[in-house]
Amino acid sequence: MLTVTLTINDDEQTHTVEPRTLLADLLRDRCGLTGTHLGCEHGACGACTLEVDGKATRSCVVLAAMCEGRSVRTIEGLRDDKIMEVLRRHFHQLHGVQCGFCTPGMLVMARDILRRHRKPTEKIIRHELSGQVCRCTGYANIVAAIGAAGAELDQGASS
Amino acid sequence: MKPAPFDYIRPQGVAEAIAALRQDDKTVSLLAGGQSLLVLLSLRMAPVDLLVDIGRIEELKTVSESATHVFLGAATTHAMIEDGAVPDPSRGLMPRVASAIAYRAIRNHGTIGGSVALADPAADWPACLMALDATVLVRGPAGDRREAVTGFVQGMYTTSLQQGEIILGFDIPRLPAGARWGAAKVTRKSGAFASAMAYVVEGCDGTPARVILGATASRAQPMPATAAYLSQHTAIDETELRAAIGADLDAVDPEADAYQRRNHTATVLRAIREVRA
Amino acid sequence: MAEHAANGWIGARLLRKEDARHLIGSGTFVADIRMSGLQDVAFVRSQMAHAKLRGVTKPERYAKRVFTHADLDAPQIVQAGPELSNFRQSPYPALASDKVRYVGQTIAACVAPTRAQAEDIAEAVTVELDELPAVVDVVAAARPDSPRLFESWPDNLYIKSTVTEGDVASLASAPVQVKRQFKMNRQATVHLEGRGVLAYWDARLNELVIYLSTQGAHVMRHGLAMALGLPENQVRVIAPDVGGGFGGKNRLMPEEIAVAALAMKLGHPVRWIEDRREHLLASVHARDHYYDLTIWADREGHLLGLAGDVYIDSGAYSLWPTGSFMEASMAARNLPGPYQMKHLKVNTFTVATNKAPMGPYRGVARPGACFAIERAVDEVAREIGREPVDVRRLNLVASHQLPYRTAGGLLLDTGDYHASLETVVGMVDLPALRKRQAAGEPDGRAIGVGFAFYTEQSGHGAAEWTKRKSRVVPGYESANARMLPDGSVLMHVGIQNHGQGLETTLSQIAAHELTLDPAAISVRYGDTAAGPFGFGTFASRSIVFAGGAVAKASRELLEKACRIGAHLLQTDVANVRAEHGAVHGPNGKVTLAEIARAANIRQELLPMGEQPLLEVTATYEPGDSGGVFSYGTHAAVVAVDPDTGKVEILDYAVAEDCGTIINPMIVDGQIQGGIAQGIGTALYEEVPYDDQGQPLATTFGDYMVPCAPEVPTVRIAHSVTPALCTEYGVKGVGEGGAIAPPAAIANALCDAFRAIGAKFNETPLTPRRVSDAVDRARNGGTAS
Repeated sequence: MLTVTLTINDDEQTHTVEPRTLLADLLRDRCGLTGTHLGCEHGACGACTLEVDGKATRSCVVLAAMCEGRSVRTIEGLRDDKIMEVLRRHFHQLHGVQCGFCTPGMLVMARDILRRHRKPTEKIIRHELSGQVCRCTGYANIVAAIGAAGAELDQGASS
Repeated sequence: MKPAPFDYIRPQGVAEAIAALRQDDKTVSLLAGGQSLLVLLSLRMAPVDLLVDIGRIEELKTVSESATHVFLGAATTHAMIEDGAVPDPSRGLMPRVASAIAYRAIRNHGTIGGSVALADPAADWPACLMALDATVLVRGPAGDRREAVTGFVQGMYTTSLQQGEIILGFDIPRLPAGARWGAAKVTRKSGAFASAMAYVVEGCDGTPARVILGATASRAQPMPATAAYLSQHTAIDETELRAAIGADLDAVDPEADAYQRRNHTATVLRAIREVRA
Repeated sequence: MAEHAANGWIGARLLRKEDARHLIGSGTFVADIRMSGLQDVAFVRSQMAHAKLRGVTKPERYAKRVFTHADLDAPQIVQAGPELSNFRQSPYPALASDKVRYVGQTIAACVAPTRAQAEDIAEAVTVELDELPAVVDVVAAARPDSPRLFESWPDNLYIKSTVTEGDVASLASAPVQVKRQFKMNRQATVHLEGRGVLAYWDARLNELVIYLSTQGAHVMRHGLAMALGLPENQVRVIAPDVGGGFGGKNRLMPEEIAVAALAMKLGHPVRWIEDRREHLLASVHARDHYYDLTIWADREGHLLGLAGDVYIDSGAYSLWPTGSFMEASMAARNLPGPYQMKHLKVNTFTVATNKAPMGPYRGVARPGACFAIERAVDEVAREIGREPVDVRRLNLVASHQLPYRTAGGLLLDTGDYHASLETVVGMVDLPALRKRQAAGEPDGRAIGVGFAFYTEQSGHGAAEWTKRKSRVVPGYESANARMLPDGSVLMHVGIQNHGQGLETTLSQIAAHELTLDPAAISVRYGDTAAGPFGFGTFASRSIVFAGGAVAKASRELLEKACRIGAHLLQTDVANVRAEHGAVHGPNGKVTLAEIARAANIRQELLPMGEQPLLEVTATYEPGDSGGVFSYGTHAAVVAVDPDTGKVEILDYAVAEDCGTIINPMIVDGQIQGGIAQGIGTALYEEVPYDDQGQPLATTFGDYMVPCAPEVPTVRIAHSVTPALCTEYGVKGVGEGGAIAPPAAIANALCDAFRAIGAKFNETPLTPRRVSDAVDRARNGGTAS
């Protein structure tokens, strides 16, 4: 067992974990943060995407131990985030959600895209989303929602 | 799908990491970004007793540049290369390659050193670094050594890395002004491992062309006949070029079946078209 | 927020009620449920395709944490498949007893505080297997000399059958005869949330509580109770948020029985959460159709008839309740498609092999049948040198012929099939595409356009399911409408929303009937202790059946409210009408909330003899239970690199008709999502097996699921021909999107290479298959 101290959604916490404990399992099983979903557990579906030190990260291919001293932000820690508020609104209005299982990872990734690309084109959005599996929506409305959120944020930034 | 138990340490420096690797009775594995290794561990396909996490060692993040070379530490992530956060010796080739490796969240953690050390035949960096004529810098119990990436990568998941050795980074010659490159890869879907991959670099000053084929059954390798053809011809005769590619494929990927040969050939041709465009 | 359609909530683009919880990560899926004392289960699974199970050795240290067939108080084997005497039973134990019949079959269950520890134990269990010859190829498996999966069977056929209409022998001298083989390979259902089950014994209520990621909690309770030997009133199944299903969560599966049995034995909660490898290895597999067909036509292209064999590789066991026959019977009956051919003779073979058991997957059977017939129509067109679109024009059932009984025996109800075809031909601008093709692409790729027509049967009830000899006949749905003292409404239904937006659409229907706002209606489902019995969500049935039940319950509730309202208004019920949440009389109005207050907590205000409560349970079945048919035409435009075999979809257009639309936003979402899965079938998804029966795609590294770059935004045109026998004229729309893409895309590939005659008759059309097909055609190979 080893001890890990890390900041989770702005709260510094210390946990005793097995070295093999994955970040996703620490969050889900010990911290009650079940908004981070596990869809493949081998880094290929994107459902468990969250932020580590501000970078989009797949929490199924990162050990909790590797996050010593890091800052982790999950979907639960983005409820008051400005970009996320805009994204949630467009996902809702453009029907970017069906079963909801991919949604948290999709939103975290969408936010990451909007932070790196000002007003991204459809082509950029599709490329950047290429590792996020959604089995229900066929992506069209998700791509449109991210585009609309990008346009709104861009307008907000320039006005 | 959870990993079997293992021990974990996070050494402070390279020397400490090398010392940690010296354990005869245990299976020890270096952990950099973990983006490939943790998948193998979760699938319980790679038994490991001890993980040595070198992801935070500052020395492995060293980046330096000279008039002729750029040195990228082994822990440089794909995303840093993609974003231009480190100097680019390749006139845009490396950022483009980086941007097409797996997915952004993977690129944020996966490292160039980890990619070369794993030596997956379909990986991008071994082939790209060969095309750039890069050298790998390795430190081990016996000291430092340098080796061309072309020789370092020896086969599927096989390198010349000896027990106790760690990749420090890569010395990458700068492409001269006027040099051109072409890059092409085929994947079954976006972000998937490549089924065909080719990199072509041509100087403008009479230096011979370099053509590297990746995604073979064993490892990325130079295509000397194709490179020679390019060096000798400013105007391309496609039949002759295809013959040169075919000769190289016989040697570089002898097990390739008819489809794989067509796939390789089309990919090499696409990279060449980009160079000559 | 919502646009309120002129005629009420029917047809309104109401935003989804389900979104709020998912958008903040507060959905509750089975794996999100925490419970004190909860332990995880990992399964020891067969690594061989076919073997005698000699023994299981438990690691001494963990002996009490490992459970085999013998330890589980032998749950009952549940008889599965159609109630036909010639359908052979394939007893499927929760944990293997004497034999294993596919790689991944459950052998032992290991219980530990964490999943990782449970996997450690599973790894330490030794299984002794005596390998038997693996039965892998479906056609070879059907031969009498094949090794057998079940010793008591004379061969490996679950069942064979023949569907006949007219006389195909009379076509022997037909001027055009095209013989082709088509193959749609095996795939997985790949809901992003795997299966999951959590079970515990509730001592207070003396019942087993099972949280299950399922499409139908009530039917699963019936199956689980049978398997466990418990009375049904001691089993409660709760389906919380379900992360997709697509058919894959609608069968009684061994892991779920095993975990339920463990919960009864252990006295603490246990759960099993399917991981992705288990999903690809041992969850419901689908499709795996092989067609060997001859189609006859005249020189103009009139289709005359169709004959041949259909092999369905159903894997090692039949899954309860429907079993493995539905696929073959539906495929055969759908083979004539929407065309006016008169003669049909299709032999079907439903074959047992050493692969994971087959179950339903979005589209069930029809993607394969559509692929076969729509490819065959294009082949006839090539044979006579006509545009495939022209041959379709010639053969589609005309609207004046509807209702029309096809040679396959399906009664197509309403619509205008030609209009759908013409609309989509216009959307892709066929003449412009032909010009572009003639000019050639600068990058050397080939451009092609392909069309495919589909029908989607939905709303089929007792008549259809009894014809299929189903053990469970989903002939109706139920709704329990309860108006609480404040006038808010709880609407319990027996279906299971799992992405379809039924909390939203069903509340629109209730709002329409009750003259309320949908916000006043809470749609509930997925708890056998709370709602009335229902069959769940599958077969594109929920809007027809549950929508009908909600409408009926709402109307009956409103009728009573009007009686009470009239009394409160001191007028006759004939003088009142309901509007805007109130009952209006000649001299005033009383709100539904006031009426509900009276009905629930102020009995003295009720008319003489009127029972208290505003609560109605209604069941609904459509007027004609043979089903209604949504339909549409898909058009795909592709660009193909002949050497690498990479296919890019440049454009995808659909002209469809699903009857009256309750919520257009959700309908479009179902179509787009279905097409994404159809594109997966067409180009990407496959679980191949080697000769030893080892599956070769057990991670997403090998099993390709299309992502945003692979799935274009589909252009959708609607027309509305209401169904005649359903509430509001609705038809189902859940599956249609997934049916036609393999056919449309394969036809587009054939079109791209029509000059050399390359044939694309096997899905998924991977780069390798595409390039090989082009190469065969270039080098003079014959059509496969």
